Amino acid sequence: MKIQAIALNTFKEAIRDRILYLLLFFAAVALAFSRLLAVLTVGDRVKIIKDVGLASISIFGVLMAILIGTGLVYKEIDKKTIYTLLSKPIQRWQFLLGKFFGLVLTLFIMTLAMGLIFLVVVLLHTGKLEGRMLLAILFIFLELVLITAVAILFSCFSTPILSSIFSLSFYLIGHLSWGLETLIQKTRSGAARMALRGLSAILPDLENFNFKTEIVHGLAIDPKFYFFSALYGLVYTLFILALAVLIFKKRDFV
Amino acid sequence: MKTASARKKGSATLLIVLLLFLSCAGIVALKQAVERVPRKKIPGASIIYIPSGKYLKYATFGYSSLVADLVYLWAIQYYTTYTIVDRFQNLEHIFSIIAELDPRYTDPYEIGALIAVNEAKDLKLALKILDLGLAKNPDQWIFPFEAGHYAQRAKDYDTARKYYEKTMGIPGAPEIAKRLYAAAGFRVMDLKESWETWLEVYNTAQDERTKKIAGKHLYQVKATSDTNLLREAVRRFRERYQRLPAGLEDLVRVGIVASLPRDLEGKDYIYNPKTGETKAPSVWWKR
Amino acid sequence: MAAVLEIDNLYKAFKVGFIPKKREILKGVSLSVAAGEIFGYLGPNGAGKTTTLKCVLGLIFPDRGKIEIFGHPPLSTKGKERLGYLPETPYFYDYLTAAEFLDFYAQLFGLRKKDKEDKIATLLHLVGMEKARDLQLRKFSRGMLQRVGLAQALINDPALLFLDEPLGGLDPLGRKELRDIIVRLKQEGKTIFLCSHILQDIEMICDRVAIIVGGRVISQGALQSLISEKVLFTEVTLSGINPADLVDLGEPVSTLGDRILLKVFQEDNIENLIALVRERRGRIHSLVPRTETLEDIFVEMVRQG
Repeated sequence: MKIQAIALNTFKEAIRDRILYLLLFFAAVALAFSRLLAVLTVGDRVKIIKDVGLASISIFGVLMAILIGTGLVYKEIDKKTIYTLLSKPIQRWQFLLGKFFGLVLTLFIMTLAMGLIFLVVVLLHTGKLEGRMLLAILFIFLELVLITAVAILFSCFSTPILSSIFSLSFYLIGHLSWGLETLIQKTRSGAARMALRGLSAILPDLENFNFKTEIVHGLAIDPKFYFFSALYGLVYTLFILALAVLIFKKRDFV
Repeated sequence: MKTASARKKGSATLLIVLLLFLSCAGIVALKQAVERVPRKKIPGASIIYIPSGKYLKYATFGYSSLVADLVYLWAIQYYTTYTIVDRFQNLEHIFSIIAELDPRYTDPYEIGALIAVNEAKDLKLALKILDLGLAKNPDQWIFPFEAGHYAQRAKDYDTARKYYEKTMGIPGAPEIAKRLYAAAGFRVMDLKESWETWLEVYNTAQDERTKKIAGKHLYQVKATSDTNLLREAVRRFRERYQRLPAGLEDLVRVGIVASLPRDLEGKDYIYNPKTGETKAPSVWWKR
Repeated sequence: MAAVLEIDNLYKAFKVGFIPKKREILKGVSLSVAAGEIFGYLGPNGAGKTTTLKCVLGLIFPDRGKIEIFGHPPLSTKGKERLGYLPETPYFYDYLTAAEFLDFYAQLFGLRKKDKEDKIATLLHLVGMEKARDLQLRKFSRGMLQRVGLAQALINDPALLFLDEPLGGLDPLGRKELRDIIVRLKQEGKTIFLCSHILQDIEMICDRVAIIVGGRVISQGALQSLISEKVLFTEVTLSGINPADLVDLGEPVSTLGDRILLKVFQEDNIENLIALVRERRGRIHSLVPRTETLEDIFVEMVRQG
C-alpha cells in the first residue's frame, strides 16, 4: 500500500500542475478547430474531424506524459524532498513505481477528458456515438503509458530539458520503424543487415499502437493484433521500469 | 500642479501609447496592402517540391492520415486560386502524395479527377487518378463508375464501356452501371452484347421503371439492328438492279432477305421508296 | 546497554568535476550511540556531518565501513521503522496542507485510519501548529516548516530521532521550545542524534558528543568529561581603585568612567583583590568565574586538526 500512497501523492501533485491544463485547453481548442477545418474540405467532413481529434489526443497526451514525467523524479531530487521520503521504511523501487502509477492515473483522467470532448464533437457532427473511436483512444493511452515509463527513466538521472529531448527522440524513433524495415530490405545480407535486424527488434515499434487510420476508415482489425500489441506495450513498459529501478537503486543523493 | 518628474513620466507614457497606436495602424494598413497584391504562390506551396509520398509517410511519425487531410485541404485551396495559372502542372504529383499518405481516403481521388477533367481539361489524367484509386481500393465501385462517366461525356464510348464493365464486376455496384454499360455498348455498335445486357437488365429488373427503361432500349437495339439489316439489303438491291425497291417486300421477292424483320411490337418497318431510308415505326424512347 | 546506532570506520569519497577527481569526505568515521541519550554530533562546516547522516539513512552508499541501526543495515526497512529524521532545511511538498503532509507519511508507516488521525492531531498540538492544519505548506514561514518537519519526524513514534541542525533558523523562543521538546522526548525514552554547530545548545542538552573535523572523529565521549570544571579566569568589575594598584593582580580589559573590568587569573589574587577593595573603600560590582566552555574546546580542537 506504500506504492499506493506515493501514487496518490504524485497524482495530487500532477493534477495541480498548470501545464496539464494548458495542454488540455489546447487539445480542446484543436478539437473545436477541427470542425472549422472540416468546413474547408470537399467531401467527407467527418474524416477530418476524426483525424484531427485522434491526432490531438495523441500529441497532447505525449506532451503531457513527457513534460510532467521528466520532472517527477528530478524535482524530488532537486528539491530534496526525497531525503525525508527515503528515510521512511520504503524501498526505492516502491518509490519509482508509485511515481509511475501516479502519473498514469493522471494521464488516464486527461485522456478520458479529451476523449469525451472528442466523442461529443463527433456526435454533434454525425448524430452518432462512435464507440469504435474508444478503441483507438485506448491504444493511444497504452502508448502514453510506455512514454511515461521512458520519461521517468530519464528523469532518474538527467535534467528535465535533456530528459524531454531524449523522451521525444524515443517517441519519434518509435514511429520510424517502417523506415528501418525498408532500410533492412535494401541492405545486402551480411553483418550490417544482422545488426539492423537486431536494432529493429529492440527499438520500440510504437506503430503497433497506431490504429487511428484503420478505425477512422472503419476497417476491420484482427483481434489477435490488438492482443499482441497490448502485450507488447506492457512488456516493453516493464522493461523500461526495470531499467529505471536498476539505475535508481545505486544512486547517491548528495 | 504637476512636478517636473511627474510631467516627464506622463509624457513618457503618452509617447508609448502613441507608438502603440501608430504601429497598430501600420500593421493593419500593411496587411491590407499585402493582400491586394495578387499572389503567384499560396502559402504551403513548397509541398510541390516533396519528391515522393512514399518517404513523406515516414516523416509523419504515425500521423499520415492527418497529414493527408491537411495536404488535401491545401490542395483544394490551391486549385481554387485562379490567379495561379500554372497550377495544373503538379496535379498528378500532389494527388499521388495524398494517395501514398492515406490510400483509402476516397475523396481526393474523386476530386482530383474532377479537377483534371473540368479545369485542366485532361481526361487521361483524370482516368489515371481514378485508376490509382481503384488499385488501392478494389472495393470502391465509384472510381470506375465516375471514370466511365467522364469518358462517356468525352464521347469515348469504348473506354466508357470498359469502365462500366469493371464497375459491374464490383459487388455493391448500382444497377444503373449495367444499363450504362449496355447503352455505351450500343454506341460502339456492339449490338449483340448490348442486346444481351439489356435483356439481362429487363429480366432481373426489380421495379417497373427499370423494366420499362430496359424495354425501351431493347426496342432501340432491335430497331437499329433491323434497320441496319434492311439498309444493307436495299443497298444490295440497288447494286443489282440499279434502282431502289418499290417496297420492302421486293427484297423478299428477289431473295435478298428471307423474311422481313418486325420491330419488338410486331410492327413493320417503314420504308421510303424515294430515299431508300428505313426507319422504325415508333420512336424508341417515346414508347 | 546495546548501541542503538553503530558506525564503524566509514569512508566516502565523491568524484567531482567533469574529469572526475576524487574528493574524500569521510576518512574513517567511527562512533557509537547508546539508547536513551542525547548525542551531539559537532563539527565545522564541510567536516562531513551531513554526509555521515546520509550514509546512515541510506541516501548515500559508503565506500567502506559498517553501519548498524538497531542492529540492522541502513537500507533495511526494519531499522527505518523505528527512526525519524528532520533534515537541515525543510524540503517538503509545498502543494500539500500540513494535515495532508503528515497523513502521507503516516501512510508510509502503515498506520491505520483511527491511529493516523489521533497521531496527526497530537503532533500538530505538540509543535503548536494546530491552527495551520489546513494551510498549504507553500505558505508556511521557515519556523513553521521546521515545526511541521519535527512533527513529521515523530509520526511513527521513533525510538531514534535524527535532527540535522534543527535549531538553526529559529528565534530564541523557538529554540527554547525545541530544546524543551527534545529533553521531554529523552524522558520518554527516545534516543536523539543531534547534528549542530550551535554549541551553546549542545552544551545545554547533550549527554555525549562526537566532534568531527576533516572527515574524522577527533573526540568522542561524555560532555562532562570533555569540559573540565576548572576555572579559566574570573571577571571582576570594580570601582574606586587606582588602576596602578591593580597591575599585579589582574589584566584590565576595559574602563568605563570609574569602573574597571579586570580579568583575574589566579585564585589567590581574587582574595587579595577583595581585601584591597575593602581596604580602599572601593566597590565590587560583579564577580563572574569563567569555566571552559565547549566553544573553547571546539575552537582549540579545530585549530589543532
